Amino acid sequence: MLLSFDRVTKFYGPVIGINDISCRIGPGITGLLGANGAGKSTLMKLASGQLRPSSGSVRIGQHAAWSSAAKRLFGYSPDINSFYEELTGREFVYAMTRLYGYPRREARERTERALDEVGMSPRAERRLAGCSHGMRQRIKLAQALVHDPPVLLLDEPLSGIDPGGRKVINDLLARLADAGKTILVSSHILVEIEQLADTVLMIARGRILASGTLGQIRELLEDQPLTIEIVAEPARRLAALLAERPEVRSIEIRDEALIVRTAAPKRFFVELGELVVREGLEVQRLQTLDAGADAVFGYLEGGVR
Amino acid sequence: MSLLRAWLTLVWLSFRRLLWSASTLMIVFPLAAGGLFLLKRRYGAMEDVEAAFAMYSNFLILVFASILIPICALAYGTASVGGDREDRTLLFLLVRPIPRWLILLAKFTATLPLTVGLTAASFFIYCRLAGEPGELAYQLYLPTVLFITLAYVSLFHLFAVSLRHATIVALIYAIFMEVLLGNLPGIIKRVAVNYYGRSLMYSYGAREGLPRPEFFEPLSASAATWALGGIACAAILLAMLIFERREYRDLT
Repeated sequence: MLLSFDRVTKFYGPVIGINDISCRIGPGITGLLGANGAGKSTLMKLASGQLRPSSGSVRIGQHAAWSSAAKRLFGYSPDINSFYEELTGREFVYAMTRLYGYPRREARERTERALDEVGMSPRAERRLAGCSHGMRQRIKLAQALVHDPPVLLLDEPLSGIDPGGRKVINDLLARLADAGKTILVSSHILVEIEQLADTVLMIARGRILASGTLGQIRELLEDQPLTIEIVAEPARRLAALLAERPEVRSIEIRDEALIVRTAAPKRFFVELGELVVREGLEVQRLQTLDAGADAVFGYLEGGVR
Repeated sequence: MSLLRAWLTLVWLSFRRLLWSASTLMIVFPLAAGGLFLLKRRYGAMEDVEAAFAMYSNFLILVFASILIPICALAYGTASVGGDREDRTLLFLLVRPIPRWLILLAKFTATLPLTVGLTAASFFIYCRLAGEPGELAYQLYLPTVLFITLAYVSLFHLFAVSLRHATIVALIYAIFMEVLLGNLPGIIKRVAVNYYGRSLMYSYGAREGLPRPEFFEPLSASAATWALGGIACAAILLAMLIFERREYRDLT
Protein backbone atom coordinates (compact mmCIF):
# COMPACT_ATOMS: atom_id res chain seq x y z
CA MET A 1 0.00 0.00 0.00
CA LEU A 2 1.37 3.33 -1.05
CA LEU A 3 1.17 6.61 0.84
CA SER A 4 1.68 9.37 -1.67
CA PHE A 5 2.09 13.11 -1.51
CA ASP A 6 1.69 14.87 -4.81
CA ARG A 7 2.82 18.51 -4.87
CA VAL A 8 1.37 19.09 -1.44
CA THR A 9 1.41 22.54 0.06
CA LYS A 10 -0.22 23.45 3.34
CA PHE A 11 -0.75 26.98 4.57
CA TYR A 12 -1.70 27.98 8.10
CA GLY A 13 -3.13 31.37 7.28
CA PRO A 14 -0.18 33.29 5.83
CA VAL A 15 2.38 30.81 7.21
CA ILE A 16 3.49 27.92 5.04
CA GLY A 17 3.69 24.60 6.87
CA ILE A 18 4.54 22.28 3.98
CA ASN A 19 5.93 23.56 0.73
CA ASP A 20 5.31 21.67 -2.51
CA ILE A 21 6.19 18.20 -1.26
CA SER A 22 6.01 15.17 -3.53
CA CYS A 23 6.99 11.71 -2.38
CA ARG A 24 5.86 8.11 -2.39
CA ILE A 25 6.21 5.96 0.67
CA GLY A 26 5.97 2.24 0.14
CA PRO A 27 6.26 -0.91 2.27
CA GLY A 28 8.95 -0.94 4.95
CA ILE A 29 9.83 1.55 7.64
CA THR A 30 10.35 5.12 6.55
CA GLY A 31 11.70 7.56 9.09
CA LEU A 32 10.50 11.12 8.94
CA LEU A 33 13.24 13.18 10.40
CA GLY A 34 13.30 16.84 11.22
CA ALA A 35 13.78 19.34 13.99
CA ASN A 36 10.82 20.69 15.93
CA GLY A 37 8.81 22.95 13.64
CA ALA A 38 10.29 21.41 10.49
CA GLY A 39 6.89 20.24 9.23
CA LYS A 40 6.88 16.60 10.40
CA SER A 41 3.65 16.93 12.33
CA THR A 42 1.96 18.75 9.47
CA LEU A 43 2.99 15.94 7.14
CA MET A 44 1.66 13.36 9.61
CA LYS A 45 -1.60 15.27 10.04
CA LEU A 46 -2.03 15.49 6.28
CA ALA A 47 -1.37 11.75 5.96
CA SER A 48 -3.86 10.96 8.71
CA GLY A 49 -6.55 13.20 7.28
CA GLN A 50 -6.62 15.69 10.12
CA LEU A 51 -5.67 18.44 7.71
CA ARG A 52 -6.55 19.00 4.10
CA PRO A 53 -3.79 20.18 1.77
CA SER A 54 -4.08 23.75 0.55
CA SER A 55 -2.98 22.40 -2.82
CA GLY A 56 -1.92 19.03 -4.17
CA SER A 57 -3.16 15.68 -2.93
CA VAL A 58 -2.37 13.17 -0.22
CA ARG A 59 -3.52 9.63 -0.97
CA ILE A 60 -3.48 6.34 0.81
CA GLY A 61 -3.83 3.72 -1.89
CA GLN A 62 -6.56 5.11 -4.12
CA HIS A 63 -8.27 7.19 -1.47
CA ALA A 64 -7.73 10.81 -0.46
CA ALA A 65 -6.32 10.76 3.08
CA TRP A 66 -9.11 13.10 4.22
CA SER A 67 -11.84 10.62 3.26
CA SER A 68 -13.48 8.13 5.63
CA ALA A 69 -12.52 5.28 3.29
CA ALA A 70 -8.82 6.04 3.77
CA LYS A 71 -9.21 5.81 7.54
CA ARG A 72 -9.75 2.07 7.34
CA LEU A 73 -6.36 1.80 5.65
CA PHE A 74 -4.16 3.41 8.27
CA GLY A 75 -3.52 3.25 11.97
CA TYR A 76 -2.39 6.42 13.63
CA SER A 77 -0.49 6.90 16.85
CA PRO A 78 -0.51 10.64 17.61
CA ASP A 79 2.15 12.56 19.50
CA ILE A 80 -0.38 13.93 21.98
CA ASN A 81 -0.51 12.46 25.45
CA SER A 82 -4.27 12.73 25.92
CA PHE A 83 -6.66 9.87 26.50
CA TYR A 84 -9.99 8.98 27.97
CA GLU A 85 -8.27 9.01 31.33
CA GLU A 86 -11.16 7.39 33.16
CA LEU A 87 -10.84 4.19 31.10
CA THR A 88 -8.36 1.39 31.60
CA GLY A 89 -5.88 0.71 28.84
CA ARG A 90 -7.87 -2.35 27.81
CA GLU A 91 -11.20 -0.47 27.78
CA PHE A 92 -9.69 2.31 25.71
CA VAL A 93 -8.23 0.01 23.06
CA TYR A 94 -11.48 -1.99 23.01
CA ALA A 95 -13.55 1.19 22.53
CA MET A 96 -11.27 2.33 19.70
CA THR A 97 -11.58 -1.12 18.10
CA ARG A 98 -15.36 -0.99 18.31
CA LEU A 99 -15.23 2.35 16.47
CA TYR A 100 -14.11 0.38 13.42
CA GLY A 101 -17.44 -1.43 13.58
CA TYR A 102 -16.24 -4.84 14.74
CA PRO A 103 -18.67 -7.01 16.70
CA ARG A 104 -17.95 -7.46 20.41
CA ARG A 105 -16.18 -10.79 20.26
CA GLU A 106 -13.93 -9.86 17.36
CA ALA A 107 -13.19 -6.48 18.95
CA ARG A 108 -12.15 -8.26 22.16
CA GLU A 109 -9.87 -10.63 20.26
CA ARG A 110 -8.29 -7.79 18.31
CA THR A 111 -7.83 -5.74 21.48
CA GLU A 112 -6.02 -8.60 23.21
CA ARG A 113 -3.85 -9.25 20.18
CA ALA A 114 -2.83 -5.60 19.89
CA LEU A 115 -2.13 -5.29 23.63
CA ASP A 116 -0.06 -8.44 23.48
CA GLU A 117 1.93 -7.16 20.52
CA VAL A 118 2.95 -3.99 22.35
CA GLY A 119 3.65 -5.90 25.56
CA MET A 120 0.81 -4.33 27.54
CA SER A 121 -1.47 -7.30 28.14
CA PRO A 122 -0.59 -7.85 31.81
CA ARG A 123 -0.82 -4.15 32.67
CA ALA A 124 -3.83 -3.10 30.60
CA GLU A 125 -6.24 -3.17 33.53
CA ARG A 126 -4.67 -0.06 34.96
CA ARG A 127 -6.55 3.20 34.48
CA LEU A 128 -4.93 5.39 31.85
CA ALA A 129 -4.72 8.26 34.33
CA GLY A 130 -2.31 6.14 36.37
CA CYS A 131 -0.19 4.84 33.50
CA SER A 132 3.39 5.94 32.91
CA HIS A 133 4.32 7.82 29.75
CA GLY A 134 5.87 4.69 28.27
CA MET A 135 2.74 2.63 28.96
CA ARG A 136 0.58 5.30 27.37
CA GLN A 137 2.81 5.28 24.29
CA ARG A 138 2.29 1.54 23.99
CA ILE A 139 -1.47 1.89 24.40
CA LYS A 140 -1.49 4.50 21.63
CA LEU A 141 0.40 2.10 19.43
CA ALA A 142 -2.00 -0.73 20.28
CA GLN A 143 -5.04 1.31 19.25
CA ALA A 144 -3.34 2.01 15.92
CA LEU A 145 -2.79 -1.70 15.27
CA VAL A 146 -6.22 -3.11 16.15
CA HIS A 147 -7.64 -3.18 12.64
CA ASP A 148 -4.46 -4.56 11.09
CA PRO A 149 -4.02 -1.61 8.71
CA PRO A 150 -1.67 -1.75 5.72
CA VAL A 151 -0.32 1.72 6.61
CA LEU A 152 0.91 2.83 10.02
CA LEU A 153 1.52 6.48 10.84
CA LEU A 154 3.45 6.81 14.07
CA ASP A 155 4.18 10.27 15.41
CA GLU A 156 7.13 10.13 17.82
CA PRO A 157 6.22 6.60 18.98
CA LEU A 158 9.39 6.03 20.98
CA SER A 159 9.35 9.22 23.00
CA GLY A 160 9.38 8.45 26.71
CA ILE A 161 9.80 4.70 26.27
CA ASP A 162 12.49 2.91 28.27
CA PRO A 163 15.20 0.92 26.43
CA GLY A 164 13.41 -2.40 27.02
CA GLY A 165 10.20 -0.98 25.63
CA ARG A 166 12.04 0.45 22.65
CA LYS A 167 13.35 -2.96 21.78
CA VAL A 168 9.85 -4.46 21.97
CA ILE A 169 8.47 -1.74 19.71
CA ASN A 170 11.42 -1.76 17.30
CA ASP A 171 11.09 -5.53 16.94
CA LEU A 172 7.34 -5.24 16.44
CA LEU A 173 7.73 -2.58 13.75
CA ALA A 174 10.42 -4.64 12.02
CA ARG A 175 8.06 -7.64 11.98
CA LEU A 176 5.24 -5.53 10.59
CA ALA A 177 7.55 -4.10 7.93
CA ASP A 178 8.61 -7.62 6.98
CA ALA A 179 4.95 -8.46 6.60
CA GLY A 180 4.67 -5.74 3.96
CA LYS A 181 3.22 -2.87 5.97
CA THR A 182 4.00 0.70 5.07
CA ILE A 183 5.21 2.41 8.22
CA LEU A 184 5.99 6.10 8.54
CA VAL A 185 7.69 6.99 11.82
CA SER A 186 8.43 10.56 12.75
CA SER A 187 11.12 11.59 15.17
CA HIS A 188 13.48 14.44 15.82
CA ILE A 189 16.02 12.04 17.33
CA LEU A 190 18.31 10.68 14.66
CA VAL A 191 19.55 7.68 16.60
CA GLU A 192 15.99 6.40 16.92
CA ILE A 193 15.45 6.62 13.19
CA GLU A 194 18.87 5.18 12.34
CA GLN A 195 18.05 2.07 14.37
CA LEU A 196 14.55 1.72 13.06
CA ALA A 197 14.10 2.91 9.52
CA ASP A 198 15.09 1.46 6.17
CA THR A 199 14.58 4.76 4.44
CA VAL A 200 14.73 8.29 5.74
CA LEU A 201 12.87 11.40 4.67
CA MET A 202 14.62 14.47 5.97
CA ILE A 203 12.47 17.52 6.31
CA ALA A 204 13.19 21.11 7.25
CA ARG A 205 11.20 24.30 6.87
CA GLY A 206 8.39 22.46 5.17
CA ARG A 207 10.49 20.90 2.43
CA ILE A 208 11.94 17.44 1.94
CA LEU A 209 15.69 17.90 1.90
CA ALA A 210 16.72 14.36 1.10
CA SER A 211 15.39 10.84 0.98
CA GLY A 212 17.00 7.42 0.88
CA THR A 213 19.05 5.42 3.36
CA LEU A 214 21.37 7.43 5.59
CA GLY A 215 24.30 5.90 3.68
CA GLN A 216 22.89 7.01 0.34
CA ILE A 217 22.26 10.47 1.66
CA ARG A 218 25.81 10.65 2.98
CA GLU A 219 27.18 9.62 -0.41
CA LEU A 220 25.20 12.35 -2.06
CA LEU A 221 26.85 14.74 0.30
CA GLU A 222 30.46 13.78 -0.15
CA ASP A 223 31.42 17.31 -1.06
CA GLN A 224 29.68 18.74 1.94
CA PRO A 225 31.88 20.11 4.74
CA LEU A 226 33.27 17.58 7.15
CA THR A 227 35.10 17.86 10.46
CA ILE A 228 38.00 15.46 10.99
CA GLU A 229 40.13 14.75 14.04
CA ILE A 230 43.75 13.85 13.31
CA VAL A 231 46.34 12.80 15.88
CA ALA A 232 49.74 12.86 14.18
CA GLU A 233 53.42 13.47 14.89
CA PRO A 234 54.55 16.15 14.53
CA ALA A 235 51.12 17.81 14.82
CA ARG A 236 52.25 21.37 14.24
CA ARG A 237 54.12 20.45 11.05
CA LEU A 238 50.99 18.72 9.74
CA ALA A 239 48.86 21.74 10.71
CA ALA A 240 51.14 24.05 8.77
CA LEU A 241 51.01 21.83 5.68
CA LEU A 242 47.24 21.44 5.84
CA ALA A 243 46.76 25.18 6.23
CA GLU A 244 48.13 25.63 2.70
CA ARG A 245 45.51 23.34 1.19
CA PRO A 246 42.64 25.24 -0.44
CA GLU A 247 40.06 22.63 0.58
CA VAL A 248 40.85 23.12 4.29
CA ARG A 249 38.57 25.69 5.86
CA SER A 250 39.95 25.79 9.38
CA ILE A 251 42.34 24.02 11.72
CA GLU A 252 42.09 23.95 15.46
CA ILE A 253 44.63 22.37 17.78
CA ARG A 254 42.84 20.66 20.64
CA ASP A 255 45.12 18.85 23.14
CA GLU A 256 47.17 16.50 20.97
CA ALA A 257 44.73 16.49 18.08
CA LEU A 258 44.09 18.63 15.06
CA ILE A 259 40.47 19.38 14.33
CA VAL A 260 40.30 20.04 10.62
CA ARG A 261 37.23 21.30 8.82
CA THR A 262 37.24 20.71 5.09
CA ALA A 263 34.91 21.82 2.36
CA ALA A 264 35.77 18.91 0.04
CA PRO A 265 36.26 15.72 2.05
CA LYS A 266 36.92 13.42 -0.91
CA ARG A 267 39.83 15.52 -2.24
CA PHE A 268 41.07 16.16 1.28
CA PHE A 269 41.49 12.46 2.09
CA VAL A 270 43.38 11.82 -1.18
CA GLU A 271 45.74 14.73 -0.57
CA LEU A 272 46.18 13.90 3.12
CA GLY A 273 47.34 10.40 2.18
CA GLU A 274 49.89 11.80 -0.30
CA LEU A 275 51.07 14.39 2.22
CA VAL A 276 51.62 11.87 4.98
CA VAL A 277 53.70 9.61 2.71
CA ARG A 278 55.71 12.47 1.19
CA GLU A 279 56.52 14.17 4.49
CA GLY A 280 57.00 10.96 6.51
CA LEU A 281 54.39 11.91 9.12
CA GLU A 282 53.03 9.42 11.60
CA VAL A 283 49.25 9.42 11.82
CA GLN A 284 48.07 7.79 15.04
CA ARG A 285 44.39 8.50 14.75
CA LEU A 286 42.10 9.74 11.99
CA GLN A 287 38.38 10.02 12.49
CA THR A 288 35.49 12.07 11.24
CA LEU A 289 33.64 13.83 14.00
CA ASP A 290 30.37 14.39 12.24
CA ALA A 291 29.80 11.61 9.78
CA GLY A 292 26.76 10.32 11.67
CA ALA A 293 23.20 11.14 11.00
CA ASP A 294 23.34 14.23 13.19
CA ALA A 295 25.97 15.72 10.95
CA VAL A 296 24.16 14.73 7.78
CA PHE A 297 21.08 16.42 9.07
CA GLY A 298 23.08 19.44 10.18
CA TYR A 299 24.54 19.84 6.71
CA LEU A 300 21.18 19.44 5.10
CA GLU A 301 19.57 21.95 7.36
CA GLY A 302 22.45 24.34 6.84
CA GLY A 303 21.87 24.15 3.13
CA VAL A 304 18.47 25.76 3.36
CA ARG A 305 19.31 28.40 5.93
CA MET B 1 -17.23 -4.11 9.99
CA SER B 2 -20.37 -2.08 10.28
CA LEU B 3 -20.75 1.68 10.25
CA LEU B 4 -23.94 1.49 12.30
CA ARG B 5 -22.16 -0.56 14.97
CA ALA B 6 -19.30 1.93 15.05
CA TRP B 7 -21.75 4.80 15.30
CA LEU B 8 -23.69 3.20 18.13
CA THR B 9 -20.42 2.56 19.97
CA LEU B 10 -19.61 6.23 19.66
CA VAL B 11 -23.06 7.20 20.95
CA TRP B 12 -22.60 4.92 23.98
CA LEU B 13 -19.04 6.09 24.62
CA SER B 14 -20.10 9.74 24.44
CA PHE B 15 -23.16 9.15 26.61
CA ARG B 16 -21.05 7.43 29.26
CA ARG B 17 -18.50 10.22 29.31
CA LEU B 18 -21.18 12.91 29.55
CA LEU B 19 -23.10 11.12 32.28
CA TRP B 20 -20.04 11.01 34.54
CA SER B 21 -18.83 14.47 33.61
CA ALA B 22 -18.79 17.69 35.60
CA SER B 23 -21.81 18.78 33.54
CA THR B 24 -24.05 16.41 35.48
CA LEU B 25 -22.92 17.87 38.79
CA MET B 26 -23.21 21.38 37.44
CA ILE B 27 -26.88 21.10 36.58
CA VAL B 28 -28.06 19.08 39.57
CA PHE B 29 -27.78 22.12 41.84
CA PRO B 30 -29.95 24.61 39.91
CA LEU B 31 -32.54 21.89 39.26
CA ALA B 32 -32.59 21.00 42.97
CA ALA B 33 -32.90 24.70 43.83
CA GLY B 34 -35.99 24.87 41.60
CA GLY B 35 -37.47 21.91 43.48
CA LEU B 36 -36.79 23.54 46.85
CA PHE B 37 -38.45 26.72 45.67
CA LEU B 38 -41.58 24.78 44.72
CA LEU B 39 -41.58 22.97 48.07
CA LYS B 40 -41.54 26.34 49.79
CA ARG B 41 -44.25 27.93 47.62
CA ARG B 42 -46.70 24.99 48.00
CA TYR B 43 -48.86 25.83 44.98
CA GLY B 44 -50.87 22.67 45.61
CA ALA B 45 -52.05 23.99 48.96
CA MET B 46 -53.53 27.20 47.54
CA GLU B 47 -57.30 27.38 47.55
CA ASP B 48 -57.62 29.34 44.33
CA VAL B 49 -56.51 26.69 41.84
CA GLU B 50 -56.72 29.05 38.87
CA ALA B 51 -54.44 31.59 40.54
CA ALA B 52 -52.11 28.79 41.65
CA PHE B 53 -51.97 27.48 38.07
CA ALA B 54 -51.13 30.96 36.77
CA MET B 55 -48.37 31.41 39.33
CA TYR B 56 -46.94 27.98 38.70
CA SER B 57 -47.10 28.54 34.93
CA ASN B 58 -45.17 31.77 35.36
CA PHE B 59 -42.53 29.88 37.33
CA LEU B 60 -42.29 27.36 34.51
CA ILE B 61 -42.14 30.01 31.80
CA LEU B 62 -39.79 32.47 33.49
CA VAL B 63 -37.52 30.12 35.44
CA PHE B 64 -37.76 26.58 34.15
CA ALA B 65 -38.06 27.20 30.40
CA SER B 66 -36.03 30.41 30.31
CA ILE B 67 -33.16 29.53 32.66
CA LEU B 68 -33.05 25.89 33.79
CA ILE B 69 -33.63 24.23 30.40
CA PRO B 70 -31.01 26.42 28.66
CA ILE B 71 -28.49 25.66 31.43
CA CYS B 72 -29.19 21.94 31.16
CA ALA B 73 -28.91 22.00 27.36
CA LEU B 74 -25.81 24.15 27.54
CA ALA B 75 -24.05 21.90 30.04
CA TYR B 76 -24.38 18.81 27.85
CA GLY B 77 -24.73 20.44 24.43
CA THR B 78 -21.39 22.22 24.53
CA ALA B 79 -19.63 19.51 26.54
CA SER B 80 -20.41 16.72 24.07
CA VAL B 81 -17.92 18.10 21.56
CA GLY B 82 -16.19 20.59 23.85
CA GLY B 83 -15.16 17.91 26.34
CA ASP B 84 -13.33 15.92 23.68
CA ARG B 85 -11.90 19.13 22.33
CA GLU B 86 -10.55 20.25 25.72
CA ASP B 87 -9.22 16.78 26.57
CA ARG B 88 -7.71 16.58 23.06
CA THR B 89 -9.35 13.18 22.60
CA LEU B 90 -11.35 14.29 19.58
CA LEU B 91 -8.41 13.21 17.47
CA PHE B 92 -8.98 9.56 18.35
CA LEU B 93 -12.49 9.84 16.90
CA LEU B 94 -11.54 11.79 13.79
CA VAL B 95 -9.08 9.15 12.60
CA ARG B 96 -11.73 6.40 12.70
CA PRO B 97 -13.65 5.54 9.54
CA ILE B 98 -16.82 7.30 10.63
CA PRO B 99 -17.84 10.30 8.50
CA ARG B 100 -17.40 13.46 10.50
CA TRP B 101 -21.02 14.53 10.22
CA LEU B 102 -21.99 11.17 11.73
CA ILE B 103 -19.55 11.75 14.59
CA LEU B 104 -21.36 14.99 15.36
CA LEU B 105 -24.73 13.29 15.03
CA ALA B 106 -23.55 10.60 17.47
CA LYS B 107 -22.50 13.28 19.94
CA PHE B 108 -25.88 14.98 19.56
CA THR B 109 -27.73 11.68 19.98
CA ALA B 110 -25.73 10.91 23.11
CA THR B 111 -26.79 14.17 24.72
CA LEU B 112 -30.49 13.66 24.04
CA PRO B 113 -31.22 11.01 26.70
CA LEU B 114 -29.44 13.19 29.24
CA THR B 115 -30.92 16.56 28.36
CA VAL B 116 -34.39 15.45 27.37
CA GLY B 117 -34.47 12.86 30.16
CA LEU B 118 -33.26 15.30 32.76
CA THR B 119 -35.58 18.15 31.78
CA ALA B 120 -38.57 15.79 31.41
CA ALA B 121 -37.81 14.13 34.74
CA SER B 122 -37.32 17.40 36.59
CA PHE B 123 -40.47 18.79 34.95
CA PHE B 124 -42.36 15.73 36.16
CA ILE B 125 -41.02 16.13 39.70
CA TYR B 126 -41.77 19.87 39.74
CA CYS B 127 -45.33 19.22 38.63
CA ARG B 128 -45.77 16.57 41.34
CA LEU B 129 -44.44 19.04 43.89
CA ALA B 130 -46.87 21.69 42.65
CA GLY B 131 -49.93 19.48 43.27
CA GLU B 132 -53.13 20.04 41.29
CA PRO B 133 -51.92 23.00 39.20
CA GLY B 134 -48.82 20.95 38.48
CA GLU B 135 -50.81 18.04 37.08
CA LEU B 136 -52.63 20.39 34.75
CA ALA B 137 -49.38 22.08 33.70
CA TYR B 138 -47.74 18.72 33.03
CA GLN B 139 -50.42 17.77 30.53
CA LEU B 140 -50.29 21.15 28.84
CA TYR B 141 -46.60 21.92 28.69
CA LEU B 142 -44.70 18.61 28.38
CA PRO B 143 -44.40 18.68 24.55
CA THR B 144 -43.30 22.32 24.73
CA VAL B 145 -40.62 21.50 27.30
CA LEU B 146 -39.29 18.78 25.01
CA PHE B 147 -39.32 21.06 21.97
CA ILE B 148 -37.48 23.84 23.81
CA THR B 149 -34.87 21.37 25.08
CA LEU B 150 -34.28 19.99 21.60
CA ALA B 151 -33.91 23.46 20.11
CA TYR B 152 -31.40 24.55 22.76
CA VAL B 153 -29.36 21.33 22.54
CA SER B 154 -29.08 21.71 18.76
CA LEU B 155 -28.19 25.37 19.05
CA PHE B 156 -25.46 24.70 21.61
CA HIS B 157 -24.00 21.95 19.43
CA LEU B 158 -23.74 24.55 16.70
CA PHE B 159 -21.94 26.82 19.16
CA ALA B 160 -19.63 23.95 20.13
CA VAL B 161 -18.43 23.22 16.60
CA SER B 162 -18.25 26.85 15.52
CA LEU B 163 -16.62 28.55 18.49
CA ARG B 164 -13.44 27.88 20.36
CA HIS B 165 -14.79 28.90 23.78
CA ALA B 166 -18.29 27.64 23.16
CA THR B 167 -19.29 27.09 26.79
CA ILE B 168 -18.54 30.66 27.82
CA VAL B 169 -20.15 32.14 24.72
CA ALA B 170 -23.19 29.89 25.14
CA LEU B 171 -23.52 30.87 28.79
CA ILE B 172 -23.39 34.55 27.91
CA TYR B 173 -25.85 33.92 25.12
CA ALA B 174 -28.25 31.97 27.37
CA ILE B 175 -28.20 34.46 30.19
CA PHE B 176 -28.08 37.77 28.39
CA MET B 177 -29.18 37.33 24.81
CA GLU B 178 -32.04 34.95 25.43
CA VAL B 179 -33.37 36.78 28.46
CA LEU B 180 -32.77 40.28 27.14
CA LEU B 181 -33.72 39.77 23.51
CA GLY B 182 -36.62 37.50 24.37
CA ASN B 183 -38.17 40.25 26.45
CA LEU B 184 -37.60 43.17 24.13
CA PRO B 185 -40.66 44.65 22.46
CA GLY B 186 -41.11 44.39 18.71
CA ILE B 187 -39.77 41.92 16.23
CA ILE B 188 -36.24 41.62 17.61
CA LYS B 189 -37.31 39.10 20.25
CA ARG B 190 -37.91 36.60 17.47
CA VAL B 191 -34.19 35.86 17.36
CA ALA B 192 -34.46 34.22 20.81
CA VAL B 193 -35.44 30.55 21.18
CA ASN B 194 -37.04 31.59 24.44
CA TYR B 195 -39.65 33.65 22.60
CA TYR B 196 -41.05 30.65 20.73
CA GLY B 197 -41.11 28.53 23.88
CA ARG B 198 -42.98 31.20 25.79
CA SER B 199 -45.38 31.69 22.88
CA LEU B 200 -46.25 28.01 23.03
CA MET B 201 -46.65 27.95 26.79
CA TYR B 202 -48.81 31.07 26.90
CA SER B 203 -50.93 29.69 24.06
CA TYR B 204 -51.51 26.38 25.85
CA GLY B 205 -51.87 28.05 29.24
CA ALA B 206 -54.50 30.44 27.92
CA ARG B 207 -56.82 27.46 27.53
CA GLU B 208 -56.79 27.15 31.31
CA GLY B 209 -57.10 30.87 31.93
CA LEU B 210 -53.43 31.81 32.07
CA PRO B 211 -53.29 35.57 31.46
CA ARG B 212 -50.79 36.78 28.89
CA PRO B 213 -48.52 39.70 29.81
CA GLU B 214 -49.63 42.86 28.10
CA PHE B 215 -46.36 43.57 26.35
CA PHE B 216 -45.92 40.04 25.07
CA GLU B 217 -47.27 39.25 21.64
CA PRO B 218 -46.99 35.51 21.15
CA LEU B 219 -46.91 33.62 17.90
CA SER B 220 -49.65 31.10 17.30
CA ALA B 221 -49.01 27.67 18.79
CA SER B 222 -48.50 26.04 15.41
CA ALA B 223 -46.11 28.77 14.19
CA ALA B 224 -44.10 28.57 17.42
CA THR B 225 -43.92 24.76 17.16
CA TRP B 226 -42.66 25.00 13.59
CA ALA B 227 -40.16 27.65 14.61
CA LEU B 228 -38.75 25.54 17.47
CA GLY B 229 -38.61 22.44 15.26
CA GLY B 230 -36.99 24.48 12.51
CA ILE B 231 -34.36 25.91 14.85
CA ALA B 232 -33.57 22.42 16.16
CA CYS B 233 -33.21 20.92 12.68
CA ALA B 234 -31.38 23.86 11.11
CA ALA B 235 -28.91 24.21 13.97
CA ILE B 236 -27.93 20.54 14.07
CA LEU B 237 -27.71 20.27 10.26
CA LEU B 238 -25.52 23.36 10.14
CA ALA B 239 -23.39 21.97 12.99
CA MET B 240 -22.92 18.71 11.07
CA LEU B 241 -21.98 20.61 7.92
CA ILE B 242 -19.42 22.75 9.77
CA PHE B 243 -17.99 19.73 11.59
CA GLU B 244 -17.67 17.83 8.32
CA ARG B 245 -15.66 20.61 6.74
CA ARG B 246 -13.46 21.81 9.56
CA GLU B 247 -9.92 20.62 10.03
CA TYR B 248 -8.85 19.17 13.36
CA ARG B 249 -6.68 22.19 14.18
CA ASP B 250 -9.77 24.40 13.92
CA LEU B 251 -11.57 22.19 16.38
CA THR B 252 -8.90 22.28 19.06
